[in-house]
Amino acid sequence: MNLSELVAALPEDDRRTMPVGSLHRLWTVSEISAQVGLAYLAIWIRQWFTSAEASKRQLMETNLRVALKLFHRLGYLRGALAKLGQGAAHLPHLLPQQVADTLGRLQFDAPPMHFPLIREVVRNEFGRGAGEVFVNFQKEAFAAASIGQVHRAWLRSGEAVAVKIQYPGIARTIDADFRNLSALLLPLRLGMDWGSVKAQFEEVRRMLNQEVDYLQEAESTRCAGALFRPEDGIVVPQVYGEYSGRRVLTTGLLQGVHLPEYLAGHPSQASRNAFGTKIYVAWKRMFYAFMPYADLHPGNFLFMEDGRLGLLDFGCVQHYGPEEREITMLADRMSFEDASLMPEVVRRVCGVTEGDAALPDYLRMMAESREWMMEPLSTPGPFDFGDEAHFQKGIDWFSRTVQKRMTRANPMYVYMNRSIFGLKAMLFRLRAQVDVHEVIRQERPRSSPLAKSR
Amino acid sequence: MRITAEAKTLTRDRILEVATRLFQTDGWHVTTTRSIAVAAGIATGTLFNYFPAKEAIAATLMAEALRRSHQDRAGEDEGSIEADLFTLIWSGLFRLREFRKFLGPAAETIFSPLARAAPDSAGDAIRVEHLELMEAILTAHGFAAPRSVVTGQLYWTLYLGVFMFWAADESPGLEDTLALLDESVKLFAASLGVHRARALAADSLGPI
Repeated sequence: MNLSELVAALPEDDRRTMPVGSLHRLWTVSEISAQVGLAYLAIWIRQWFTSAEASKRQLMETNLRVALKLFHRLGYLRGALAKLGQGAAHLPHLLPQQVADTLGRLQFDAPPMHFPLIREVVRNEFGRGAGEVFVNFQKEAFAAASIGQVHRAWLRSGEAVAVKIQYPGIARTIDADFRNLSALLLPLRLGMDWGSVKAQFEEVRRMLNQEVDYLQEAESTRCAGALFRPEDGIVVPQVYGEYSGRRVLTTGLLQGVHLPEYLAGHPSQASRNAFGTKIYVAWKRMFYAFMPYADLHPGNFLFMEDGRLGLLDFGCVQHYGPEEREITMLADRMSFEDASLMPEVVRRVCGVTEGDAALPDYLRMMAESREWMMEPLSTPGPFDFGDEAHFQKGIDWFSRTVQKRMTRANPMYVYMNRSIFGLKAMLFRLRAQVDVHEVIRQERPRSSPLAKSR
Repeated sequence: MRITAEAKTLTRDRILEVATRLFQTDGWHVTTTRSIAVAAGIATGTLFNYFPAKEAIAATLMAEALRRSHQDRAGEDEGSIEADLFTLIWSGLFRLREFRKFLGPAAETIFSPLARAAPDSAGDAIRVEHLELMEAILTAHGFAAPRSVVTGQLYWTLYLGVFMFWAADESPGLEDTLALLDESVKLFAASLGVHRARALAADSLGPI
């Protein structure tokens, strides 16, 4: 079966027309954070195609076709590929058109679960069905999670809770999917950046495994909750440990609306600024706690009626070890205090050192990145994140990086970049004006000369 | 000497109990009607008065457990046709869980299409009873009989696939069986045109 036949064989329901208009597409098709993170995969695949001799291309295309065919019916990674395909569609020249078309047509959602199935998943966790564990359990889900769904329930104490339930068996497909992908693609070890690519690949696998472990998510949620005080106006739902397991997570139920509904109410500029500031504070707080919120998209924020911001879903939170913490603070010092640290940052982050022919390109890339990141601080007072030019500058930077195939980076940056673009995308959609100077002054660790003691 | 009905029941129950133990400890293939009779303290010929073969013993164990599962779910209405079919099959598998170790190899014979042709096939009785329950669910959801012969055959093929997978499933909490069963009932429902029927119903109601 050739690629065209494979495309033709995909179910009709999976074929969706892409909306046109660059920024519009970014918002409507899927969240940009996911696109950016997973576009890395596309970069790698593109790299194999562009750096191979013609004789090898046929072999690679064959392998890719087999991989696509396999993944169309596989579990979790199919979701990753679906997002990757959508991402690739927005970053021109990233992949051969036929491949991009194929990826773009793959769709993934965990199938909706009816109550008898829910009951058995809960029974697997607690030895009792949902109707016995909870006093009252709503059979209809009120929200979809990427690999499951969320139900309202009530505890014996009377508290209303949100019970997130994972589709059975999906978690165990990740390693198998990666093994299959590796078996098909690892023989194509082309390009000088293979070592870095492999490490990033491993980071994606590790994070996907973490995302499906609800016990880990419970722990990340508790850690995040401990970072915020009532006066911050930022709420993290309480975890109910005795009602949680690896595939079921029970948390407090926050009342609020998601971004589209919030915007539909035509909120005032002051309200949007206040929520935008809280989003920025939450992001910075978690960043400096070395647990960046890597899955920053509209579905994970609740705009509460009393003005508080609710944070949801801590499955995709990285937990930095000593090396990542050092790199984080080095890059932070480069950004805020000493631009001359740039070669050192490039060495630590990208592994590009003096004498490497790629060094000038990487230094330029880092300088552009820094300029974009620091732009909100370039003028006094609040910065307007609704400025399309600012956002477009970031997209252009990322596209250039992709096109030049500058893939060497510490694996932590796969998700860090995703997180940064997710933040900027949220603030752009919110059209929020945020006094970044003030947030930085409050949030940067006190060891920094710019930071105010908390 | 005349054997009372009560004594017959006691002997029958004893055979079932001993056979269950031997199937579980010695395995399906090693256990014979002779070893069951010896362990039950009866002559092999006596055993044949109750069961013609070890397959009939396993089929009886299955049929009785499945009947208990039908009582478990009696009166339950899960909402959708997929949910009802899921419950029909899963409640049966749940009741059969203590026999899971030997039901895989046993089912190869019990549910073999060749065995079905045999008179008084215990496996066929299970099949017929299960298909009647499936038919009742379809009727309750508005799918009027008569149905094409393909419907029953497709359902039974999917059921056997799930059953054999379940018998050998080593995933934690049998979660792979849960997923396969879920996909299978959806596939079967789709073959009935459930989605088309729902779309038509939604159209006739107008926008909600």
